[in-house]
Amino acid sequence: MTHKILITVLGLLVVLGLAPGTHAQEVIKIGIVAPLSAPGGVETGQALVEGAKIAAEEVNASGGLLGKKVELVIGDTSGQPEKGTAVMERLITHDKVVAVGGEAHSSVALAEIEVAHRYGIPLVIAEAWADSITAKGYPEVFRLTVSNSLIYSKAAKWIKDAGFKHVAVIGENSDWGLGVIQVFKDNLAGAGIKVTAFSAERTVTDFTPQLMQLKNMTPPVDFLVDGFTGAGELLMVKQAHQLGFAPSKKTAVLGAGMDTLYPGFWETVGEAGIYVLSNPAGLPGIPKTKTSGGFAKAFKAKLNREPDAVAMEGYDSVMVLAQAIKASKSTNGKALIDALENKVNWEGTRGTIKFNKDKTPPWAYHMWMDVPVFIIQYTKANQDPSQAAILWPEKHATVKGYIRPPK
Amino acid sequence: MLFLSQLANALVIGTLYALMSLGLSLIFGVLKLVNFAHGEALMVGGYLFYVLASLQLPLPLALLFSTPLLFLFGVLLERIFLRTPYQRKMARYDEYVILVTFALGIFLQNLAFPIFGPYNRQAPSLFNRTIRLGELIVGGDRMSGALVSFATIGILIFFLYRTSLGKGLRAVAQNPGAASIVGIKVLRMRSVAFGIGITLAGVAGALFGPIFLVNPEMGTSFAVKAFVIVVLGGMGSVKGTIFGAYGLAIVESFGSILLPDPTRSLAYKDAYGLLLLMLVLLVRPQGLFGEKERPA
Repeated sequence: MTHKILITVLGLLVVLGLAPGTHAQEVIKIGIVAPLSAPGGVETGQALVEGAKIAAEEVNASGGLLGKKVELVIGDTSGQPEKGTAVMERLITHDKVVAVGGEAHSSVALAEIEVAHRYGIPLVIAEAWADSITAKGYPEVFRLTVSNSLIYSKAAKWIKDAGFKHVAVIGENSDWGLGVIQVFKDNLAGAGIKVTAFSAERTVTDFTPQLMQLKNMTPPVDFLVDGFTGAGELLMVKQAHQLGFAPSKKTAVLGAGMDTLYPGFWETVGEAGIYVLSNPAGLPGIPKTKTSGGFAKAFKAKLNREPDAVAMEGYDSVMVLAQAIKASKSTNGKALIDALENKVNWEGTRGTIKFNKDKTPPWAYHMWMDVPVFIIQYTKANQDPSQAAILWPEKHATVKGYIRPPK
Repeated sequence: MLFLSQLANALVIGTLYALMSLGLSLIFGVLKLVNFAHGEALMVGGYLFYVLASLQLPLPLALLFSTPLLFLFGVLLERIFLRTPYQRKMARYDEYVILVTFALGIFLQNLAFPIFGPYNRQAPSLFNRTIRLGELIVGGDRMSGALVSFATIGILIFFLYRTSLGKGLRAVAQNPGAASIVGIKVLRMRSVAFGIGITLAGVAGALFGPIFLVNPEMGTSFAVKAFVIVVLGGMGSVKGTIFGAYGLAIVESFGSILLPDPTRSLAYKDAYGLLLLMLVLLVRPQGLFGEKERPA
């Protein structure tokens, strides 16, 4: 008999302990989704989270939102769409976040927007570039980074103007990678530039057979687009350089994914990283804004390096949501979406963010159309992206054009 | 020339594949069980080498020191998880082993996450400079990995066929009952075989690490390839495993460049090996060099 009483009491305690607190919410929870384990781009995800954390700390230091503290709930989506869905469901139904920001992988983002749409919770995409994310037209979805069409049409134009004649693209078969291939094909085909494209599984680690093939093609490949993220992106550069293919006097290489911005890139590729091109959606201090200086200082103090585009996007995502909450004086999904559409005009770390309402072209819906784009080229080993040579846009360029490696 | 370069790369990778698969084959041959933690054993070896290297140990020593540690690790696993149920003639021992090794694999992978973090680590390779023979180019990391693999496989074969311990292992693989009658300690042979199997996987991991980066999930895709190779070559057959390893590497390399739609062929790289496996099994279910089970 005592046995039964004991078990009942223990059971009750467990149930009470696990039940969500019924006291009034003292915090406003904002969800952050990011890849924090393989096969996602881990360093990219971490930069995003660090940027977001700095934003949350700043908001709380200046009094919080609507009298309450902001609490970030971070979910690891690992670059896998199933995890994206699961994490979003958990954030919305269990953690009761009022909004979500982040994500660095398009396939995952496409899964996440469905959940956001179902629950009417705003989702601000920080670093996922597939057109379809905003082209789907869900009112809950906003994006403060580039879309594939926006950035790679500009990159393709630069490639054309710089005189390259045969572009090879090896893209991961994710929505982003396939989008990269498509945009390059669409933009270069008409200009008489040959495009050879391969797609491959995200988990491929050996590109040597393909790179050997590309190296031996006629007409010769003079530009390689590394359309991978995570370990694959780094290994492709390493293997291409090992084979004497790219970067080399004859062939340039563009790391289209953002994992080229981090120390892990240099650890893996070493000297092969010199002369590699990258296309970050932002560089610290260009332009200098109200928030860019403060953020750079806070980031440097934490991580001992200059902030990169993804960290800035993480920061901007949280701040934009904070602004929307302040402006609408509410945490209700519909009110936040309305605020994001109509009231947000916030001077972020990369410029003043305002979301577009126009649906032409379809991907422009809820995009920040003035997002800065850069084409940079590394000139020294272990170089931080903020120190790299800027090739484009012309008004910020630090060198005359593409720097050809000596051998 | 391109064909030769591709072949050279395939052979180099094939040697590494062979090392990683021989452990699995040996474990199956002697203990008659499938080790689902083989990929994680590879990962453990990769991290062990990385850690020893980052302690500034000269790299050949780091590799050398990893070996007995991996062997001990393997023997420990066998003693803790696999020996007692075998001794007690547990019913459904095979299914038990599958569950236990599978769970062990998941456990090891998730242990690596908090200890090492999810990052991709670049372990230093024994030899870094690219090797050029005229038009033929092979990365130094791959070449040195392949040479060490080759040497290790050579030592393994010498051990299995020329030493009494090795012959004891082969005896237990053939017939444990008969082996014990002749005085071979079957339980000890099982431990040794498992230890060696884990060591081979671990050394493969140590050699793969510098080439393909060390991370908690590095073992998974290689484990799948190891299974394909071992089943293809015939479970328990050393010759078959080596053959299967080179076969798989060649099919993967050439499959991904010779197929009619080059834009998609790389995407199906893993599928070629499995396709080959299916075709071989249809014709020879015991694998290329395996033994057919004869009903008593």
